[in-house]
Amino acid sequence: MKSIRLGCGSASWGDMLDPVIELAERGDVQYIGFDHLAELTMSILQRMKVKDPKRGYIPDLVPWMKKLLPIARDKGIRMLTNAGGANVEAAGDAVAALAREIGIRGLKLGLVYGDDVLDRLPALRAQGLKLANLDTGEEDIDRVADRIVAANVYLGSEGQVEALGEGADLVITGRATDASVYIAPMVHELGWSLEDAEKMGAAITIGHIIECSAGCAGGMSNFWKDVKEPWRVAFPIAEVFENGDAVITKPEGSGRMVTEWTVKEHLVYEVHDPARYLMADGVADITGVKLRSDGPNRVHVTGCRGMKRPDTLKLCIGYEEGWIGESEISVCWPDAYEKAQFCERFLRGRFEELKLPVLEARYDYIGLNSIHGPLAKLPSNLDEINEIRLRVAVRTTSKENANLVRREVTHLWTHGPVGTTAVISPPPPRQVVALWPTLIPRELVSQRVEMREVE
Amino acid sequence: MARRVQLKDVAYARSGDKGDVVNIGVMAKDPRAYKLLEKYLTASRVKEHFRDIVKGDVVRYELPNLDSLEFVLRNALGGGATRTLMMDQTGKAYGPNLLRLTLDVEESDE
Repeated sequence: MKSIRLGCGSASWGDMLDPVIELAERGDVQYIGFDHLAELTMSILQRMKVKDPKRGYIPDLVPWMKKLLPIARDKGIRMLTNAGGANVEAAGDAVAALAREIGIRGLKLGLVYGDDVLDRLPALRAQGLKLANLDTGEEDIDRVADRIVAANVYLGSEGQVEALGEGADLVITGRATDASVYIAPMVHELGWSLEDAEKMGAAITIGHIIECSAGCAGGMSNFWKDVKEPWRVAFPIAEVFENGDAVITKPEGSGRMVTEWTVKEHLVYEVHDPARYLMADGVADITGVKLRSDGPNRVHVTGCRGMKRPDTLKLCIGYEEGWIGESEISVCWPDAYEKAQFCERFLRGRFEELKLPVLEARYDYIGLNSIHGPLAKLPSNLDEINEIRLRVAVRTTSKENANLVRREVTHLWTHGPVGTTAVISPPPPRQVVALWPTLIPRELVSQRVEMREVE
Repeated sequence: MARRVQLKDVAYARSGDKGDVVNIGVMAKDPRAYKLLEKYLTASRVKEHFRDIVKGDVVRYELPNLDSLEFVLRNALGGGATRTLMMDQTGKAYGPNLLRLTLDVEESDE
C-alpha cells in the first residue's frame, strides 16, 4: 500500500528549531509542515505590515530556512508553512533572497494568497453579511467596525495542493488552517480527492494529531514524569497510508516518547464536538478512532471518519479593545498574605485617586491561587507563608493609562510594607486586540497561487 | 453507602482554548474508570465545579473509543487569550483544575 512520511516542524511562532533539524536530517520524511500562527498572531503581523510593507510575515521564517533549505535540498524534502502570515508576498521575497544568498539554485516557491479579506470587509457588509459573533452571539459586527485591524479566513488546502502540483519545493501561505500544511501533501501524494469526505476526515485527524509539534510526543503531558531527559525534545512524524490509516512516530534515536497515551492526549485537545471537528477541508469524526501501540514509539491510528466539508469557512476578525497595563511585586514573611492584601488595597485606592479609567482589573496572588483561582484551597498556615508575589493587570483606555498601572506598582517599593521588593521590569503596555470569530460563505473566498523559481 | 473519588486518581486531562471557549479532554485511566466518569462526571457537575470561573454553558461529548470525555466550556477565559487578564491566558491549566473535582460514587460502582 502506498504511504508517505510527513514531519511536523512547528506548532506556533517561537517553537524550537533543533527538533526540526533532527527531523529533517534523520526523520526519513518527504514533507515537513509548519504552523506558525495562533489567534493573536495575525493581528500582530498585520500591524508589522502597516509599519513596514516589507514585513508582516513570521520573522523566524528566514533564519529557519537558512538552516533547513540546504538539508531539504540534500534529502529531497518539500516543505509547507503558513509563516507568510499577513504578507505572503514579502515572505516569498525574503526566502528568495535567502536562497540566492546561500546558493539554493532553482528553488521553486509556491505562494498561496486569499485568506486576507480586511480590505473586502466594507463590500461584504454592504452585500448584507452581518458577520455574527460565534462566541458571543452578537448578531452584527457594526459596533466594532471602525476598530478592526485584521480579518483572515482559515483557508483549506486547495491552494497548497495546486502549488505542490506545480512542483513547489516550499509552499508559503497566510492564515491556512493548522492541519492544512499536512493535508495538502496527503492529497497530493496519495491521490485523495478534496471531495472525498472519508479521506478528508482521516487527513484532518492525522494532521490534528501531529500539528502541535511535541504535543503528541510528550510535550504538555500528564506523563511528564516518564520523560528522562527533558531537554531532548522530539517532533512527530505521521506515516500515512493510502487507506487513511497512519502510524505516529518520531525520528530514530530522538528523545521523549510517542505512546498511545501521548497520542490520545493530543487527539482530545481542542476538538470540541468529536463527532464533528470542523475544518475548512472537511468535518472529522474521531468517535471511531482506535489507537494501538505498534512497537516502541509507534502508534497505529485507524478508524478515522469524515463528513462533507462545510459550506462556510471560519473568518477571524481582530479589533482594538483598549490597553493592558500589568506589573508584579513581592512581599515576604512575616505576614506575607496580609502584606499582599495591603498592597492590593494601596493600588485600588491609588487608581481611584488618579481617576484611572479601569475597564477591568485583576489581582493575582502568585504562589497561592493565581492559576487555579477560587478553586485553589488556601493553605492552613497562611500566616507562615514565606513569600507572595502580587500581580495586578488592568485593562484601560490608552497606553498612557496602562503605563500608570506599572508606575503605581513601583511606588509600593518605597511606600509599601517593610520588605516589599523585586519589581524587576514589568512588561510594556500592550494593546488589546479582541477576536470576533465568524463565518463566511465558502464561495466568497478564493485562493490564488503564484509560482516563483529562484535563479 | 457512598465513597469519594477524586478525578485526579482515575483520569488524566488536557485543556486548550479557542477564543473565549476552553475545552478539556478527560481521559479515564482504564475502561472501568471510564464507566464511572460516564455516569458521574456530567456537564452540570463540571459547570458547578467551575461556577466562579466559567460564565457560559458546559457541554459534554463522549468518546467511548478512547475512554475519554470532552468538555466544552463557553465564556470561560475572560474574553479569550488575546484580551483576558487571567495569567493562564490559553486555558492550559483548566485540565489540572478539573482534576481537583471529587465525585460521590455509590459503593456498587467500582
